[in-house]
Amino acid sequence: MRISRVLVPSVSTILAATITVACAGQAAPRLPGELAWTIGYDPKTFDPAKVDDQASELVRYLTGGVLLRFNRSTQKVEPQLAENWSLSPDGRTLVFKLRGGLQFSDGSKLTSRDAAWSIKRVLSPETGAPTAEEFISPAGVTLETPDERTLIVHLPKRVIGIGKVFDEIAIEPAQRPSEGRVTAGPFLVADYRRSQYVRLRRNPHYFARDNNGVQLPFATGIRLDVVDNHEQVIRLFEHGEYDVIDNLPPDYFGLLKQKAPGAVRDLGASLNTEQMWFNQAPGAPLAEWEKSWFRSQAFRVAVSRSIHRTDLARIAYEGHATPAYSFISPANSVWYDRTITVPHEDTEAAKASLFRAGFRMNGSVLTDSAGHTVKFSILTNAGNAARMKMATLIQEDLKSLGMQVTVVALDFPALIERLMHTQDYEACLLGLENVDTEPNAMMNLWLSSSPNHQWDPSEKTPATAWEAEIDKQIQLQATSPAPQVRKAAVDRVQQIVADQQPFIYLVYPNVLKAISPQLRGVQPTILTPGLVWNIEAISRDEGRAAAGR
Amino acid sequence: MAGRLKSRIMALGLLACLVLIAIAVVAAPGASFSAQDREQLLAGTSTHHPTGTDALGRDRMVRVGAALLLSLAGAVAAAALTTMAAAAVGTISAFSHAYLGSLAMLVCDVFLALPWLFLLMMVRSALPLTTSPAHSAAITFLVLAALGWPACARAVYRGAIDLRNAEWLLQARAGGLHGRQIARHVLPNLMPLLLPQFLVSVPAFVIAEANLGALGLGIGEPLPSWGGMLLELDNSAMLVRTSWIYLPIALLILVLLLLEAIAIEV
Repeated sequence: MRISRVLVPSVSTILAATITVACAGQAAPRLPGELAWTIGYDPKTFDPAKVDDQASELVRYLTGGVLLRFNRSTQKVEPQLAENWSLSPDGRTLVFKLRGGLQFSDGSKLTSRDAAWSIKRVLSPETGAPTAEEFISPAGVTLETPDERTLIVHLPKRVIGIGKVFDEIAIEPAQRPSEGRVTAGPFLVADYRRSQYVRLRRNPHYFARDNNGVQLPFATGIRLDVVDNHEQVIRLFEHGEYDVIDNLPPDYFGLLKQKAPGAVRDLGASLNTEQMWFNQAPGAPLAEWEKSWFRSQAFRVAVSRSIHRTDLARIAYEGHATPAYSFISPANSVWYDRTITVPHEDTEAAKASLFRAGFRMNGSVLTDSAGHTVKFSILTNAGNAARMKMATLIQEDLKSLGMQVTVVALDFPALIERLMHTQDYEACLLGLENVDTEPNAMMNLWLSSSPNHQWDPSEKTPATAWEAEIDKQIQLQATSPAPQVRKAAVDRVQQIVADQQPFIYLVYPNVLKAISPQLRGVQPTILTPGLVWNIEAISRDEGRAAAGR
Repeated sequence: MAGRLKSRIMALGLLACLVLIAIAVVAAPGASFSAQDREQLLAGTSTHHPTGTDALGRDRMVRVGAALLLSLAGAVAAAALTTMAAAAVGTISAFSHAYLGSLAMLVCDVFLALPWLFLLMMVRSALPLTTSPAHSAAITFLVLAALGWPACARAVYRGAIDLRNAEWLLQARAGGLHGRQIARHVLPNLMPLLLPQFLVSVPAFVIAEANLGALGLGIGEPLPSWGGMLLELDNSAMLVRTSWIYLPIALLILVLLLLEAIAIEV
């Protein structure tokens, strides 16, 4: 009896699963002057009003003409289709004055009526636009168009940071939504092949010009290939098929740096955080003694103090991460509080505080006052190498406290089922992606009543005094018109979180980019959409030549 | 025939040597598959770490040795369980009423049609989270065994049917042989069928565990497993750092070839 029928396909499967370098596909041919990079998956929609995923958001950014644009470099709101704008002192009336001679990409005239129609469409419940929620009371918003170039927006109540909201509303021709085929932005959707690419073409009627009066954008088009294989992206970038890699995995950074030292950039800490937390939900199916550990501030702080964050950054992220102690990254210079006091790494101090809280060492094993061995699991998602490494490093770090930790990797659906529904877990290690510098964007994480308040979701009333204080401060920052009051409230929340450690922040992964040496005009920034935020000004050397510029 | 026997003995000898070396490496004083030398990440050959370290600074030789022992022990145990279960189901089905036999084979077919990988993932995610890595390893192989018996049972069933219809057994049963006595006479006659089934199952379970580990759903850290170590090969950035990264896949292929050589033409 031969067993080759078992062995050969099995070994092949293993090899195919582990060595994925060789058989990657080829990119579609590049057109003259065209820029190219990748998106991880197909955009869910090309309708700019219905965007709720990153790929669709990128297409909207590249194609949509907006009244105001949030400058990712200066972090200030600037007029785009609007020549100027103003906000009344009570924060409830916005007046936009449109530029003269604006046209859509098909040559038709763009007026304030188009802008009003586009905004109304976003506000309409029938559209289901996620942006509508940012107006807080979208039903109460009214619009006026006294003339072709003036648009007045009345809000029922003040909305903090309202200017940025208009960065997400693409102006479309009134009554003619075209899913990106007719736009007022720098590009328009020219072709889309599912699971292959989205091709954008230059808008010949785009209003913007550079300092020399040359019409923008410089590039003749953009090809966004749908590829979710890092190996393939990096190989094709090396071959010059792609111009940028926006989120370069840390382990590939060094490899690419060896081959093309000038092509990679580490922009420092991102806005994103990696954190672990203990399950404090009263209804969780855990033993009562475990719940009491996780509700103990001394326990959480001791765990936090025994984690070597510099090792996590150095080992799990190859040095391309920054140790984290707060939910706001130092990259968010406006809101980050450098004065907060955090529990620094000190295993002996951590042990001492555990002993004060009634824990005891029984040989090399930590037990609570009732004699229960302190053991728990850390859950994370399978397939994320950096998180698995961090969990394994933390497992070893906590061994020094006598804690027995099991690392469990689950596929994402099983993980979400436990986190959101059964709450059958002890500790979890995951990341949070922040695309906005505004603390308002994190309200759903901090309000105790929120289902995303991970350590104890959907509390009817705040379970502790410090959670009540967070609720109060986070609502204060969301409603106060005074910047200094908002800053003080956010600083207070940062200090409470540092003291209580409901989330034990681990690292801020760094922003890693790869940029083709052929590109001109790139100004890297940590904010989405990263390298291409100033897409109008970006070109390839041969692109300029082809366009005769 | 003598040549085949010789090559089988050689393969068995080589495998035994590998196992002995692995035991020596894992049991050596100071050896630990979980100790992290955080200043020696993905290191090359050194006196402390002859085959270097992995991405967390753990000794690669100790981890590969432990993975080999764990994988072989688990696969042999799972194969033994599978073979015993298949022998029981196949024999009982063959010697019971025809409709019971058909029902048992139908159950086998249903089992064979199940998407085993998803079942394994479901079982893995349903385990208590505090299950220790050693227990999760044992459960992984138990589940593999529980899912692996039907193909073997079908083959045993066919063999047992042939035996049931053999003249010598018909005469024995007519003479009053029944129950345990039948089993005592039938099972030795099924050995030429059961042994190859057992030998085929061992590499199949080794590879199944490695597959599961390569998906990140196998044996939990810090216990080493083939699959967990093969995951490193998924990353070309790692491949250029040290050639020792190929040690687990090289050894896995060698072990599988030796297991095939042992099982071949039994």
